[in-house]
Amino acid sequence: MKKIPLPWRTLTFSLVAIGLVILALGGYLTPVSRVALSPIISVQTWVSDRFQAVQSLLTAPSDTVQVLQRNAELESEIAHLRTQIIELQQQLAEFRILSALLDFARAYPEYQYTGASVIGRDPSPFMKYIHINRGSDDGLLRGMPVVTQQGLVGRVAQVTASAALVQLITDPGITVNVQLDPSSAESLLTGSITGDINLDSIPQEANIEPGELVLTSGLGGNYPPNILIGQVTGVRSQDYALFQSASVQPIVDFSRLEIVLVITNFQPIDLSPLILTPSAR
Amino acid sequence: MIQVLIAIPIFILVTIIQTAIISNMPLLQGTADIIMLVIIAWALQEPVRTAWYWSLIGGTILGFTSALPLGITIVSYLIITGITLIIRRRIWKIPALVMLAITFIGTLFHQGLSAITLTLLGTTLPILETLELIIMPSILLNILLAIPVFAIVRDLAAWLHPEEVEI
Repeated sequence: MKKIPLPWRTLTFSLVAIGLVILALGGYLTPVSRVALSPIISVQTWVSDRFQAVQSLLTAPSDTVQVLQRNAELESEIAHLRTQIIELQQQLAEFRILSALLDFARAYPEYQYTGASVIGRDPSPFMKYIHINRGSDDGLLRGMPVVTQQGLVGRVAQVTASAALVQLITDPGITVNVQLDPSSAESLLTGSITGDINLDSIPQEANIEPGELVLTSGLGGNYPPNILIGQVTGVRSQDYALFQSASVQPIVDFSRLEIVLVITNFQPIDLSPLILTPSAR
Repeated sequence: MIQVLIAIPIFILVTIIQTAIISNMPLLQGTADIIMLVIIAWALQEPVRTAWYWSLIGGTILGFTSALPLGITIVSYLIITGITLIIRRRIWKIPALVMLAITFIGTLFHQGLSAITLTLLGTTLPILETLELIIMPSILLNILLAIPVFAIVRDLAAWLHPEEVEI
């Protein structure tokens, strides 16, 4: 066989190579390359997978320990972050309450307030009283009204140096002079052992409708006027009775009291010297 | 003496738990009275000779934290202690069952006395509602807590009154 001269061989290979490059750039070799490369890639993938499997098998013990350590660290961090979230949620809830109390204080600028946390409830189920963490050292006196951002809570019943007992308006032993809005009828609010509050002594001629607002009237001198208590939910009126009565939905949720305000510049008036006793008549 | 003095911190702690936690978990309007349960459980322990002192201390501490007239808690707890000691002498083999029985009687007596006193002082307390909403739920809660309190107080009594061993 006659040997092709070297310059011609070089020229031929160059032309073939240039032709293949041009065909490849033109996209004409794509089906060919796909068919040709597919088995090669499959084999490479298989080899690579097996290598990685063997590698992970050989290095597994040290990695497992590291992973477990890292997992413990991350779990610890998650627990810490969860604690922080709970603390922040508590602070946020407290901030919201304080913000609402501040709004209330701004709405009634004529009064001075002392904020107090509710630290307990009366151990006797008959007594609707709460314990607060402010006492005579903070300027609290017996009879001072206690409110929240929503409305009237009760009044200070007993005071020690650093704590006080507050009688709630749901206590069966309490009576509050109230007026209704918009009818302007005067009434007496009383608590009960069920925790409900009721209105008594509503004049028969008063036209009371459910939905009327119940506010302190200031009569009797025990509470400042115009502090919201609740809303009338039902009226009981009988033709032969002297007065009407009504049930009231309190605006304050007494089961969830956390922070309250004591009005410190309101001094209740003691009317007992004005009440005639049989001997004085 | 230590068996008497230790009652003061114990009842202060129990009163804190009562006012801060137990009184915030009512059933209808009734609540458990763990101070009374501790007094009953203490009086039921065999080696205990200080039941009257514990009753007096518990009643006084509770009286100061409650708006109830001070005398009510002291008198009712002393009477409950008396009943407990009488029953303990007669039925001494099954104190856990006696604990349940006296819890029932004691709660009924203490709540009844409170209701009668408040009524005499002018508070309106409808009998049926008082029974349904306060007394019966309180009895149920006290009976639920009676055995756990009894177990804790028994351990406390064993710690304060170690058995003498003859050598």
